[in-house]
Amino acid sequence: MEYQVKNISRDNFEQCIKCTICTVYCPVLSVNPLYPGPKQAGPDGERYRLKAPEFYDKALKMCLNCKRCEVACPSGVRIGDIIQNARIRYDRHPVSLRDRMLASTDEMGSLATKMAPVVNTMLRLKPVKAAMHLALGIDSHRTFPAYASRTFEAWMKSDAPDQTRFSRQISYFHGCYVNYNNPALGRDFVTLMNAIGYGVRLLDRERCCGVAKIANRLISQARRDADKNLGAIRAAVADGRPVLGTSSTCIFTMRDEYPHILGLDNADVRDSILLATRFIHQLVDAGNIRLVFRNDWKKRVAYHVPCHMQRMGWAVHSLELLKMIPGLELIPIEPGCCGISGTYGFKKENYSTSQAVGAELFDSIRSAGVDVVATDCETCKWQIEMSAGVPVANPVSILAEALDIEATRRANNL
Amino acid sequence: MKYDSIIIGGGLSGLTAGIRLASAGKKVAIITSGQSALHFSSGSMSLLNRIGRQIVDDPLTAVSDLPDGHPYHKIGVGNIQDLAAEAAMLLRHSGLNVEGSPSAHRFCLTPFGLWEPAWLTVKGIASCPDPKKCPWKKAAIVNFKGYLDFHPAYLADGLAKAGIDSEIHEIELPRLASLRKSCSEMRAASIARLLEGSAINDLAAAILRIKADADVILLPAVIGLRSDAAADLLASLVDTPVRYVPVIPMSVTGVRAEFLLRRRFESLGGTYCLGDSVSRGNFENGRLTSVFTANLGDTPLEADEFILATGSFFSQGLVAKPDAIVEPVFGLDVMQTPVRTERYSLDFFAPQPYMRFGVVTDSDLCVSRNGVTVPNLRAIGSILSGADSLHEGSGAGIALLSAIAAARKIQFA
Amino acid sequence: MMSPPDSSIDAVFYGLDRKKIYCFKKIILLFNKTLLLLLRNIFRAKRNTFAFDFVHSLPLHNRRPDGNRAVFLMNSNQPTQHYDVIVIGAGATGAGTARDCAMRGLKVLLVERFDFTAGATGRNHGLLHSGARYAVTDRESAAECISENMILRKIARHCVEDTGGIFVTLPDDDLAYQATFVEACRDAGINAEIIDPAEARRIEPAVNPDIIGAVKVPDGAVDPFRLTTANAIAAQRNGAHIMTYHEVTAVNVAHQRVCGVTLRDQRTGVLRRIDADLVINAAGIWGHAICRMAGVNVNMFPAKGALLIFGHRVNNIVINRCRKPADADILVPGDTISLIGTTSSRVPYDQVDNMEVTPEEVDILLREGSRIAPALATTRILRAYAGVRPLVAADNDPSGRSISRGIVCLDHAVRDGLEGFITITGGKLMTYRLMAEWATDLACRKLGRNAQCRTATTPLPGSESADKDAPVSHGKHHIIELPTDHKAAQARHGSMTPDIGLDARNESLVCECEEVSVGEIRYAIRQLHANNLVNLRRRTRLGMGTCQGCLCASRAASILGNELNDRPHALRDLCNFLNERWKGMLPVAWGQTLVEAQFSSWLYQSVCGLEPDILPPSLGHTAETPTHPRQSSEASPND
Repeated sequence: MEYQVKNISRDNFEQCIKCTICTVYCPVLSVNPLYPGPKQAGPDGERYRLKAPEFYDKALKMCLNCKRCEVACPSGVRIGDIIQNARIRYDRHPVSLRDRMLASTDEMGSLATKMAPVVNTMLRLKPVKAAMHLALGIDSHRTFPAYASRTFEAWMKSDAPDQTRFSRQISYFHGCYVNYNNPALGRDFVTLMNAIGYGVRLLDRERCCGVAKIANRLISQARRDADKNLGAIRAAVADGRPVLGTSSTCIFTMRDEYPHILGLDNADVRDSILLATRFIHQLVDAGNIRLVFRNDWKKRVAYHVPCHMQRMGWAVHSLELLKMIPGLELIPIEPGCCGISGTYGFKKENYSTSQAVGAELFDSIRSAGVDVVATDCETCKWQIEMSAGVPVANPVSILAEALDIEATRRANNL
Repeated sequence: MKYDSIIIGGGLSGLTAGIRLASAGKKVAIITSGQSALHFSSGSMSLLNRIGRQIVDDPLTAVSDLPDGHPYHKIGVGNIQDLAAEAAMLLRHSGLNVEGSPSAHRFCLTPFGLWEPAWLTVKGIASCPDPKKCPWKKAAIVNFKGYLDFHPAYLADGLAKAGIDSEIHEIELPRLASLRKSCSEMRAASIARLLEGSAINDLAAAILRIKADADVILLPAVIGLRSDAAADLLASLVDTPVRYVPVIPMSVTGVRAEFLLRRRFESLGGTYCLGDSVSRGNFENGRLTSVFTANLGDTPLEADEFILATGSFFSQGLVAKPDAIVEPVFGLDVMQTPVRTERYSLDFFAPQPYMRFGVVTDSDLCVSRNGVTVPNLRAIGSILSGADSLHEGSGAGIALLSAIAAARKIQFA
Repeated sequence: MMSPPDSSIDAVFYGLDRKKIYCFKKIILLFNKTLLLLLRNIFRAKRNTFAFDFVHSLPLHNRRPDGNRAVFLMNSNQPTQHYDVIVIGAGATGAGTARDCAMRGLKVLLVERFDFTAGATGRNHGLLHSGARYAVTDRESAAECISENMILRKIARHCVEDTGGIFVTLPDDDLAYQATFVEACRDAGINAEIIDPAEARRIEPAVNPDIIGAVKVPDGAVDPFRLTTANAIAAQRNGAHIMTYHEVTAVNVAHQRVCGVTLRDQRTGVLRRIDADLVINAAGIWGHAICRMAGVNVNMFPAKGALLIFGHRVNNIVINRCRKPADADILVPGDTISLIGTTSSRVPYDQVDNMEVTPEEVDILLREGSRIAPALATTRILRAYAGVRPLVAADNDPSGRSISRGIVCLDHAVRDGLEGFITITGGKLMTYRLMAEWATDLACRKLGRNAQCRTATTPLPGSESADKDAPVSHGKHHIIELPTDHKAAQARHGSMTPDIGLDARNESLVCECEEVSVGEIRYAIRQLHANNLVNLRRRTRLGMGTCQGCLCASRAASILGNELNDRPHALRDLCNFLNERWKGMLPVAWGQTLVEAQFSSWLYQSVCGLEPDILPPSLGHTAETPTHPRQSSEASPND
């Protein structure tokens, strides 16, 4: 019989056999039982929503979209996608001003960098925080990451070393955070890539990957940005340049959320959208490049696996690269979600949930006694720095810092 | 990426093989799609409970009565005792405190007050060598208010049949009040997450308030997702011994077992890739040289030896299609009945032919593909054909013993 | 299924805000309710005194002294009772007949060998026919259907979903048939409107995109379990007595006159005679045997129809194929699932209690079904089942070739010279009320009573207007605020929902797939005649969802045993229920359906150690199917 070879439903929801494994690994459920949990919110609820949209439960907005349920599911159900899609399809509440502001990372960033010192000072003032807490619902415990006075793009265009001299080229998807807040990470990335013989190019007019807009249900805007990004990515790939990023969430969004949530087909370029550590590790693994590290660099480092990194299954790449640094002592910590989930943790109604989710991780980090925590996600960085009081760096920055640049260049015949 | 051994499937047998190989100094990776069926393990593991409908007295001697082609014959009836001893040791070294012997059952109390035989039981699980001669005289059965997966009255009935008196108590812990606000999330694992640290003191106080004159306290097994610490703390606070009765669907004991085994594997340097699935393999000269996964895309994972521990239908190790049963990763040869109607028996409780289906292996547990044996791909655990592990009560035994047997063959090859 | 606002009350409170209005309404309605209850009780007390009614009109939830729930309304040591009418069979027709008789003041007893809807009523499409399907071939049936369709929408709102329906023409169907079809519909009074295939694709995206024609008709979905239960409750509220789990072993005849029946208590095996002036045989295909007991012969031919249930709603509008009725050409969305059916084949009478769906039937259903909705080819199938529809041979043709498709109401006095015996059969689920009306009309004539039928205008319990409606019916705002299990319960029990008494304590979910709470399970056990898990499934949808009982069966069994104070019964019944679920999964046990079955086996046989042979005997309650699953009987009223 040629029928029934495979059951295909949206987000695989009918593959669910109600085993309840996902409920064990949901970080929200463990601290906030008012959330119906991934099983009820996801595949169970979906059957009812298909019956009538009135069965939509507004508690679904409590989902962090961490996808840990999907990682745990033995049946391959895209539980997180079911929940996000339900929020988008059925939640009819208008998106608030606060959510629009939080989601508009590009727009806010380009405004803020123009007067970074003023904005940074303002955002740190207690009265301003209190006002934002009351008027907007942005939790006063949070501090926005400081804005750089000069964007990464500006640096690339005028101050970066000449990238055209390299025969091999990649395109860099820097993301909003590198561009507006942490251009140093972008510069580390350029240093690292140059040392192994790759020139770094920007995409033609990069937009925000859209993760914050998706989380805040600004779907048409997210789709518009995503369309532009995919166009730019296609152009780079057509030119023979893979697109690398240093943010696991940006890369995850463009690879998986574009097709699953925004309904955009990226199959032609999906394999060319890569996290920098995966790209570099593959080169090292295949023996195509060599990395040489400094002997005088010594640090105790813990690696935190961001949720979306866990979902992509690429933590092994970052870890393998870090393990190559001779002076790096890798300290194990409890795996788990840090709780911030992008803009989620900035909302005052989510603050306590957010902190409770991460509590175990923070304890584990504090007691590990490390110099630095490595992680591939910028929002994890803010959360861990604020809540565990330990500096956090992207593995790319750690690699760049520990790298013996000249020796590496020589090893790669540059 | 290159490993000595790659194990596909991270359940009881995959983790056991991984731990065994990693302790022998091998570089091992486990690739597993989602959490395993170990999450539903009751906390007791059986070697062989029944042949036909008859409960066997001594599993060690009874194994030779199993039909040809049974996994126990493949690993060698004479090796069972030795393998069983090593399996128990491996579990204990991983932090899973098990007790029991392969030549005599222990009987464990089931969620509905029946007694089920077992080879190994995890410490704290309510069990005794013989229900008829159970040392308990009176049990206090304690449930948490609003928890539906524990059935005290049925347990009391079961205990009464064994001549044990019991009284039933329901306690309400402030710590669990928040859970009760949700209509669906009063689950074993949710309770276990909340019953840590100081909540155990509250629980102990509540149990002490009952002032039962019982000589055993029976609680649902909803304590200790990651370790025995909470149970140990409770035991130190309550004079009467506390024993735990398994619950369905999710088993906290099973979650803990998987966590401890995984941690042991990783602490031995193993790489555990959770949430990834092997999509295909590359064969050269009849040997499997590398596998590719959904997450790692075009990055090949190379190894000298491979182990397939993807489980039965539940874990997608086997996939039933209307016309055939297939092994979805490599398209291996599967022992099955050709006619759809002959896969099943009408009675849910009768032995189901489909339970015996599995991949064809030779005496070295090597699988075959299009009729040709693959010398460096071995199958272990419930994907093996020839056992109705449900009716035999041999699931955990086959998983553990075949894993160690395969690991030994790889180590000494 | 939402009630219109109560306009008179709204008018009084014009200008007040919604919350206040709601409070005031509640107070007034509560007052009214109390008054009504008081009056009703006074009336009942009087009637009992004057009418020499020595069987107490026990409320359904009364406990017997031993703590067991009374599943029937009499104690077996009470003297034999005399009724005006005994109705045999608690399917839709029997329950409907009992209701009609009771509403016309007859003293009626409804007897059933198993549970409500255990036969054909519980095993069909659940299609609220517009009648369009019969328009070309059987105009009379078509006209009956559309008329009953409109009635059910009013009296059984909580059982009906107004989904609408379309009849689609596939590329290899004859488009010319469409014109014939539409004309026949119009002749029968069915509003059939030709729409553009593009419009059909828009309103029902699941339909085959290649369709070349589409006609819109007022089809819908009806829940036969709810409908029958509501009729039984209505019968009881009007004074009828109900005995489930009592099988008729003899129809007693004296002097060419039926004078009652002998019943066997399925739990105790005790036999007892009950006398009545009139016996109405509404036993569906089993009516064949009832007739034999009375010494008359009605030629019934069992026609088996197989159906498949899909895991979720594939479509939201009933999709029919616009051609002469054939296999697998109706796809009905019912509650959380979709159903494709049916096949049609004659089976020997001795097989009616033992229906199994064959692989060939499954293949036909899938092949034909995925032609009207291609998604069916790749949608998970939860289970397969078959029903047996009684086809009645015309009296002048004992060979059975000439089958009467419509309602058959036989006065055996006229037909066979046997007084006091009526057979009501043929027909469809859709026309159950009309069948009941015909049978009751005949009964009244024979008993010399003169009472008008009111069943077409009186709402059924659950569909009564405002007074018992939960806030859910008062506006969308509230719907959003209610937890899903409340909404689900509201959809199942309509205006009876407040009786469940949902509160924090009772809200934990037993069945997570179908959102059935502890409160609802207890309500069904205490108030809706449910004494085993199969009954509970019919009353609440327990175990009808994706997991097919894997998660909920143990929880429900636990509650059942405690409620009935018969835990051995509950454990045996748990085994029985798992077997009953497996029987439906077996014909489609591949993919995740087999995974689900294996998961269930592990949990119940390995972790729980359940095995029917080792369980202690029950204390006296009856599982529907003692050892092996065999109950599967009913009709497919679709063809």
